[in-house]
Amino acid sequence: MHLIKTTDLAVYAGNVELLQPLSLTLNKGERLTILGQTGSGKSLLAQAIMGNLSESLHCEGNVELFGKSRSLSERKALWGRQLTLLPQEPWNALSPLMTARNQLKETYRLVRGLAESAARTRTEEDLNQFELQAGADKRVDQLSGGMAQRVAITCAMAGGAQVLLADEPTKGLDISRRDHVVGQLKAQAADGVLLTITHDVAVARQTGGRVMVMKDGVLLEEGLAEDVLSTPQHPYTRALISADPAKWWQPPRQVFPEDSEALISARQLTVGRGDQALVSGLNFTVHPGEVVGVVGDSGCGKSTLGDTLLGLIPPHSGLVDRQKGISAHHWQKLYQDPTAAVSHAVPLNVLLTDLVQLHNLDATSVPALMARLGLSETLLQRTASEVSGGELQRFCLLRILLLKPVFLFADEPTSRLDPVTTREVSQLLVDLAREQGCAVMLVSHDPMLIEKRCDRVIQLSA
Amino acid sequence: MRERTLMNARGLGLLLLTVLCVYSFGTSFLFAGDGNSQNLNHILSIPNAEFLLGTDHFGRNMWLRLADALQLSLFLALACVLTSVVTGVILGVLAATRGGWIDRLIDMLVTLIMALPGLVLVMIFASIAPGSLLVLYIAIALIQWVEYFRLTRAVIQRVDTSPAVESSRLMGFGLWYLFRRHYWPVLAPQLLTLAAFGAANAVLMMASLGFVYVGIQPPTAELGQMIVELFPYYQEAPWLLAQPLLALALLVLAFHLCGRRGADAPD
Repeated sequence: MHLIKTTDLAVYAGNVELLQPLSLTLNKGERLTILGQTGSGKSLLAQAIMGNLSESLHCEGNVELFGKSRSLSERKALWGRQLTLLPQEPWNALSPLMTARNQLKETYRLVRGLAESAARTRTEEDLNQFELQAGADKRVDQLSGGMAQRVAITCAMAGGAQVLLADEPTKGLDISRRDHVVGQLKAQAADGVLLTITHDVAVARQTGGRVMVMKDGVLLEEGLAEDVLSTPQHPYTRALISADPAKWWQPPRQVFPEDSEALISARQLTVGRGDQALVSGLNFTVHPGEVVGVVGDSGCGKSTLGDTLLGLIPPHSGLVDRQKGISAHHWQKLYQDPTAAVSHAVPLNVLLTDLVQLHNLDATSVPALMARLGLSETLLQRTASEVSGGELQRFCLLRILLLKPVFLFADEPTSRLDPVTTREVSQLLVDLAREQGCAVMLVSHDPMLIEKRCDRVIQLSA
Repeated sequence: MRERTLMNARGLGLLLLTVLCVYSFGTSFLFAGDGNSQNLNHILSIPNAEFLLGTDHFGRNMWLRLADALQLSLFLALACVLTSVVTGVILGVLAATRGGWIDRLIDMLVTLIMALPGLVLVMIFASIAPGSLLVLYIAIALIQWVEYFRLTRAVIQRVDTSPAVESSRLMGFGLWYLFRRHYWPVLAPQLLTLAAFGAANAVLMMASLGFVYVGIQPPTAELGQMIVELFPYYQEAPWLLAQPLLALALLVLAFHLCGRRGADAPD
C-alpha cells in the first residue's frame, strides 16, 4: 500500500507557478530525499502534502495519504500521530513559554496519549539520548540554535508518527549530531515513510533510498541515492556535489601581525548571559580586513561573544577595546535565522529603501550588488514570509554590504543555505573583508568551511 | 469553515455598526424638528406615519430622541477609545523600551487606577460635575488607557528582544521606525480587538451612569437615562421602553462582533 501518493501536485502564488506539477509514490518502508538549492520549492512540496501552505499560496493536483485521498481537515486529524512535519525553524515551532522538558512531556502525554509517569520516563530517555539535559529547563529563547533544533525534532517525533516529512532536519547541527538525527529518523520511519528535504548532500547519502534533485520548482534528476550521487547526470547535480566545502579552492591565508593596528582587542574577557558566565579568559585582537573563525560546541557562547563585541551586552569581566571614532552602524551582525531577523510587515524593497534613505546611501550600487548576490527585483516585491531562508539571508547580506561595515559578526550565516549558496555567501564574506577592509568573524559548526575561509580560528570551550 | 464564520461575525458587526451610524447621523439631516421639543397633545402615542417610533410621556419624538442618544454614545465611544489607545500605546512603548524609573512610575500609576473598581471611579468624577460630557469622557478614558498600556507593554517587551529589532537598531534605525515596522504590525490586530470591547464598555458605562441619574442630565437624550425615564410606563407603552434597551443591546453587540479575531490572527 502506498502511504504517500501525489498526482500532478503543483503550488502557485496567484498565477506564478512555484512548484512544477510533481507525481510521486512512496510505499511502506521507502525513503526519499529531495535535494536542491534554497528557494527551489522543496519546502512547499512538504507543506502541500501536509496541508499547511500559507494562505497566499494554493495547490492543485491530488494528494493521497495512507491509500486514500484526504481533504484538508482529514489530513489535520492525522497530524502528529500518523503524519508529522519536522519543522524548519525551531523558534517558530516551539512554544515560547514552556521549558524544553515540559514541552516534550506534554507531547508524550497529549499527542502520544501516555500516562504521566510513562511520559516522564520517555522524556528523560529522549533528553539523555539527544544530549539535551543541559537545556532541559530552558525556554526556547534561552537555548542555542542547535539545541532548539534538536528539541523541535524530538517533540515532532514524540507523537510516534511513522510517516515523517523532515524539512532541513539537520540545519544548524554539527556533524556528529547530524549523523545521530539522521539515524533516529531512519529508525522511526522504518515501518513508514521518510521524506527528507535537504540541501546537504551528505544527509542524502546517509539517508539512502531514492533521491530527487530540484531547482526552481523543477525536477531535474531522480533515481537511487547511490546512483545519483556517485554518477550525477545533470550539471546542476554535479555542481551541488562539488560544492562540498572539502572540495573548495583555498585562497592564501593572510597573516596580520599582532602589533598592527587593531580594530577590536579583548583582554581577559569573560562573556555570559545574565548571571551565567559562558567563556572566560579570552585574549585576542581582530584587525581590519581579517577573517577570523569562531568554533565551539553548540551552546558554548559563540553568539554571546558576538553580542559582547558589538556592545549589545556588557562583558562579565575583562576589557573589550573597540577602535574609536567609527559610527555605530558600521558594526554589523549577520544572523543565524534570517526569518527572525527582518520585519515581515512590508515587502523587502521597502526595507531596503528605508535603509538607503536613513543613511543617504548610494542607491546606484544596489543593482550590481543584487546581481552579485543573485537577488532579483521581483523577489524584493515579496515580504520576508514569502521568500526562502537562503534568499532572505542574501537579502540581509545586501543590506549589510550597503552599510560598508568595518566589523561583521556572522553568526552561522550559512547553516540554512545549500552548498552552492554557502560557497558563494562565504566567499562574499571573504571578499567583503579583503575589498572593504572589514573585519569578519565567522561562526560555523562546519570545520571544513572554517578551514577554507578563515585566516585564524578562535576555539571556544567552556 | 471556522475561518468563514469568523469573517462573517466581524462583517456582521461592521454592518450593524454602519446601520446604527447611518440611522443616528442621517436622521439629523433628513428629519426636521428636534428630540427635545415637547408636544403634550401627543403623549405615549404608538408608532405611526408622523412619529415613526411613537412619542414619550412628554410627547417627544422617539425617532429623533433615539438618534440623538445613539449619536452621543457613538461619539463618546470613539473619543474614549482614541484617547486611551493613543495614551496607552505611547506610555506602553516608553515603559517597554526605556524601562527603569519610567516603567516603575507608570506601573505605580496603573496599579493605583486598577485598585479601584472602574465604574466607582467614573461615578466619583461624574458626581463632582454632574451632567458634564467632558468630565465623563475624561473619567472613562482615564480608566480605559490602562488596558491598552498593559497590552502594549507586554507585546513590545517580547518583540523588543527579537533579532529583527536588534538588527534594525544596529543599522541605526530610531524608535519611530521600530514602532512602524516592528511593533505596530504585531500590536495592531490585538489592539483592534481590545478597542472594540473598549468602545462597548464606554457605551455601557455612560448608560449605567445615566440609569442612576449621575450621567448626562435631562433633557439631553441619553440611552441609560431614557431607560429609567420610560420605566414607569412599561405597562401602558412597552414599545417605548424596548427602544432604548434594544438600541443599547444592538450597539454593544455590534462592537463585540467587530472585536472577534480575524482569520489571519493566531489562536
